[in-house]
Amino acid sequence: MAKVNINVGVNGRWYELAVEPQERLVDVLRDRLGLTGTKVGCGKGECGACTINIDGKAILSCLTLAVQADGKEILTIEGLQKGAELHPLQEAFVKEAAVQCGYCTPGMIMAAKAMLDCDSDPSEEAVREVLSSNLCRCTGYDRPVKAVIEAAKTMRGAK
Amino acid sequence: MIDHFRPREYHRPNNLREATSLLSSFGKKAKVIAGGTDILVNKPSGLECLVDVASLDLDYIRKDEDGIHIGAATTLDLIESSPMLSSGPYAVLSEAASVVATPTVRNMATIGGNICNASPAADLPLALMVLDSTVRTVSLNGSRILPIGDFFEDVNKTKLRDDELLVEVHIPLSAETTGASFMKLRRHQTSVDIALVNVAAELTCPDDICEVARIALGAVAETPIYAKKAEELLTGKKLNEELIQKAAEAAAEESRPIDDLRASAGYRRRMVGVLVKRALEVSVRRCATWRK
Repeated sequence: MAKVNINVGVNGRWYELAVEPQERLVDVLRDRLGLTGTKVGCGKGECGACTINIDGKAILSCLTLAVQADGKEILTIEGLQKGAELHPLQEAFVKEAAVQCGYCTPGMIMAAKAMLDCDSDPSEEAVREVLSSNLCRCTGYDRPVKAVIEAAKTMRGAK
Repeated sequence: MIDHFRPREYHRPNNLREATSLLSSFGKKAKVIAGGTDILVNKPSGLECLVDVASLDLDYIRKDEDGIHIGAATTLDLIESSPMLSSGPYAVLSEAASVVATPTVRNMATIGGNICNASPAADLPLALMVLDSTVRTVSLNGSRILPIGDFFEDVNKTKLRDDELLVEVHIPLSAETTGASFMKLRRHQTSVDIALVNVAAELTCPDDICEVARIALGAVAETPIYAKKAEELLTGKKLNEELIQKAAEAAAEESRPIDDLRASAGYRRRMVGVLVKRALEVSVRRCATWRK
């Protein structure tokens, strides 16, 4: 099995890695770079727990090969926080108690992040549609939806 | 669980010649990868070579005098939101794209993948069938253009040869007086699940008389199929409620569904009738809207 050299930008830092063709991006992020904030749920593109952003788009890292990410800029949940300061989305998820077990939360936040980058004032319907990509078995969707709308408000105010 | 998905090589060619050379030399041992939302779920074993189409400039939607051209690697989110596919009969394609899986999956999945995976329940092929679209393939031996309705051979099997790559979908210009619509029934209407039954319809009615009728059915045969008898019932006739009901029944009759974990064959057949009726009603209304 020939290893392939890739360059990936993760949370603003570039890494040169040798990966095998079948390696999933989520495994490389978690096991090689230690970024375990991104979760593996179903591994089949149904649950959204592994959602990250690639070049600003919400992408499932369990259905992306590491080799496909060569040359791309990746943002994971770990890249949102600036030092001790939480991102407005993280802040809002805490404030609205939108987290219960927490397993779906990084995926939800990354799906919401990609949406807010394109649409700073989404309707509740649009937020619900985007979060339909992410399965939550604990707390349901009302609080995460509220949190995303709150975060959008904060982010618009900060501009 | 042993993971048998172990392709020996990965290539991301920059031009079609390089891509088709790889397909030609590896044959059945090569697989094309685009969004990865099928291949990385199915994880086929015995692969020597993965050919990534990401750098072939196949992500585009263009309109010219001869219709709309969509590159095979165009993702479904772009099809869903393209202004070129937001009105007129072409909107049937964006309607179909907007109900595939989840928004995040649609950021990755491509129109070419949705076609080549050849799921009997696939959404986009039905819309493309009623729009009388064609697909273009290339290989080292040249290029082929095939009607989308002839492209599917069996469950997960198309006419695409091992050395061929699907590169483009072409939608011909439709008459101004054409209306089309798409319907999808799932176990839960907001779920990631595939269709129990899906239907696309297109009607061209310059006046009260239906000039052309197209009805495509999904998840009720080995491949997407045209409901030819239902189409014939409508063609050249003055449309009314009774005729639409008859056509819907004919379509249900033509469907060949199976029992599976999602639904029984009997339920599917009845739902074909319901969805075809609704799709025809919406299409008629849309014809009338464009006429005004």
